[in-house]
Amino acid sequence: MEKRLQMISLIGFFALCFSTIFSFTLLIPVSIFKINIKYFILIFRLSTFLVCISFISLIFAYVSSDFTNFNVFQNSHSDKPLIYKITGAWGNHEGSILLWICMISLYGFFYSLISKSANEFKILVLKFQSALFIIFALFIILTSNPFLVNSVFVEEGLGLNPILQDPALAIHPPMLYLGYVGFSLVFSLAIASLFRNNLDQDWINEARTWSMISWGFLTAGIALGSYWAYYELGWGGWWFWDPVENISLMPWIAGLALVHSLLMIRGEQAIEKWIVFLAILCFSLSILGTFLVRSGILTSVHSFASDASRGLFILLIFFLTTGFGFLIFLIKTPSKKDDLHLLLINKTSALIINNILMMITVFTILLGTIYPIIIEVLTNKRISVGGPYFNSTVLPILLPGFLLMSIAPVLSWKTNQIKKFRIYVICFLILSLIVSLQSYFTSFNTWGFIGLILGSWIIIASIISIMIRHRFSFTIKYITSINSFIAHIGVGVMIIGVTFSSIYQKEYNFNIEVGDKVSLENEILKFNDMQIIEEKNYQSLKANISIKKKNGNIIYIKPGKNYYPVSKMITTEAGIYHDWFKDIYITLGSENNNIWFIRVLINPLVSFIWLGVIIMVFSSAIAVIKK
Amino acid sequence: MSLRFQRLILIIFTLVIFCSAVLLILFNTQKNIVFFYTPSELIKNDKNLLEKKVRIGGYVKKNSFLQKPLNNYQFKITDNISELLVFYEGILPDLFKEGQGTVVEGVLNNKKIIIASKVYAKHDENYMPASIKKELEKNNQWKKDYK
Repeated sequence: MEKRLQMISLIGFFALCFSTIFSFTLLIPVSIFKINIKYFILIFRLSTFLVCISFISLIFAYVSSDFTNFNVFQNSHSDKPLIYKITGAWGNHEGSILLWICMISLYGFFYSLISKSANEFKILVLKFQSALFIIFALFIILTSNPFLVNSVFVEEGLGLNPILQDPALAIHPPMLYLGYVGFSLVFSLAIASLFRNNLDQDWINEARTWSMISWGFLTAGIALGSYWAYYELGWGGWWFWDPVENISLMPWIAGLALVHSLLMIRGEQAIEKWIVFLAILCFSLSILGTFLVRSGILTSVHSFASDASRGLFILLIFFLTTGFGFLIFLIKTPSKKDDLHLLLINKTSALIINNILMMITVFTILLGTIYPIIIEVLTNKRISVGGPYFNSTVLPILLPGFLLMSIAPVLSWKTNQIKKFRIYVICFLILSLIVSLQSYFTSFNTWGFIGLILGSWIIIASIISIMIRHRFSFTIKYITSINSFIAHIGVGVMIIGVTFSSIYQKEYNFNIEVGDKVSLENEILKFNDMQIIEEKNYQSLKANISIKKKNGNIIYIKPGKNYYPVSKMITTEAGIYHDWFKDIYITLGSENNNIWFIRVLINPLVSFIWLGVIIMVFSSAIAVIKK
Repeated sequence: MSLRFQRLILIIFTLVIFCSAVLLILFNTQKNIVFFYTPSELIKNDKNLLEKKVRIGGYVKKNSFLQKPLNNYQFKITDNISELLVFYEGILPDLFKEGQGTVVEGVLNNKKIIIASKVYAKHDENYMPASIKKELEKNNQWKKDYK
């Protein structure tokens, strides 16, 4: 038995090594060693196959609780439910980096399947992709090998952090990585196009598809993480401007700028340079993010085991790829002399302003995130930059962008005119009037006012444009033609959700005994009883709380605490009641003489945030299919 | 409007946005940052930090934790050299324990008492911010060898 289990780790490790070696052979210049395109792609796919084998054997080691593997021993436990055994494979540093390179290779694989480019170009792209693969594979082999053999014999593992044993968090890392790593392919495409001096439509079309895919996955990944933070951490918020969140936001915004610029190229020829720059930037920001998280330089609530040598290695990778990318960019950019067709307000200028705003936002977030490091190096003082900084810098910068967004899709490429301009003006005036009245009669709040008016204006303007410009029909073609409006409606919905849930959140704190009743604003809350439930790998203490709504309906919410004996940890499980208009969010505090402390948050319109994200991801999927 | 004039307006618009962004950043880096100390650093510090928001990183001192009525807590945060008394009202994080690392954000009431508005404990039970860890290591107070 033992021998067989150790074999799995051995197979995994050798598959990884051979996959790396195969990738090396791909880098040999064609002039020295002539290989046919057929064999070239075959070798590439073989390497992909091997790295997948390697990852599967790691998963297998986790599923079979093979504690002769050191990584499994540190992060798993035989009591865990099967799904968390599988997801445990990427719940740690080593496994997640293995997943990362697996994806680099898979992106190359699918590119080789789908791409219709000329063979030379295809080979070049795959070469850059293999080069990236090799760099990260070496990082695994040299500093974070998941297949190390445990030096002592153990019966049981140390267990996965209970807070990570959660369905949303199980698929959050793969989604996020599909996003980050997708930009590696866009990076390879951009560099390859510079090398071949063919900044033409061909690679632009491919880049459009792949950056859209990556951006969609990144959006979904970030949203899942945020949703997890919302219900698992028990703080009642869903975004904390934690460094880890910030660094995922930077490639996301840069990717957004990239996706928009790629659309722009339909009308203009002169911004390929800018697109190449963005493509390089997106992947650089992804690596920078990984470096900052993994090296432990930043203080964050995500603590991955940090190790100086790893941080140094990733920093090296970062400088290598970014430096290489921007160097090639400087040397090889073509100097086409096409002027941009700028007018006061046409699509090109709107997109350029949007890009500038996004770049400034990225810069602001980057600065806020690494500011503590800079200050510490310079003055040896430690500071922390938190939510207030980001809220009061990032939001004002984004405002003009949101305003622009509401009308941007209806602007024309070559003229200053907007079709049926008057309808927009009238609708905007009516809307402002309604919102002003609304905020006059309820409690006025500047940010609430701005957010509500912007969000609903984006939605209304998009709907007007859809109605004016496109005849309704039940076809895919119709949906693809209004896709940009759909995406923007998603943003509008999300803005409304964000505004309401953060500004009009209500908090109630009270002490309560079993059997007691408390009346909130519209509801009556009753604390029925306490239960203890035994689950497979934890004990759960649940408060049974019923809430009688204004209309007489009774809903049950069960906040509680879970105790995980393996890691001796307690986690708070918030009890959440969702409906379309508000979430009732209850966390259980501590107990004293049978009196419990309970915190109730009424979060209005939280569901709009997730709805907005779903619309955005849907629209990016449509944009990919459109091709 | 001539094409040139329109372009000029665009450029000016961009510059205005850019400058206001820079101003915003400068203003906010002055205002919205919180300084981070270990207890001994805070006590040694000459600057007048009373009534200012600070963050303190250290350990929860053994046998110092007291629960006053329900959600009112009092404990000492220490780096094994100096210690501060912390008062906190609210829900403590799950991983908060005596002897474990924690970060407290709050306002200094007097030189040795802090009224906390937030108490953090990290997801990981071995949590300690890297910078605080370095300071502790320097004073040989960093005992645990974390892998």
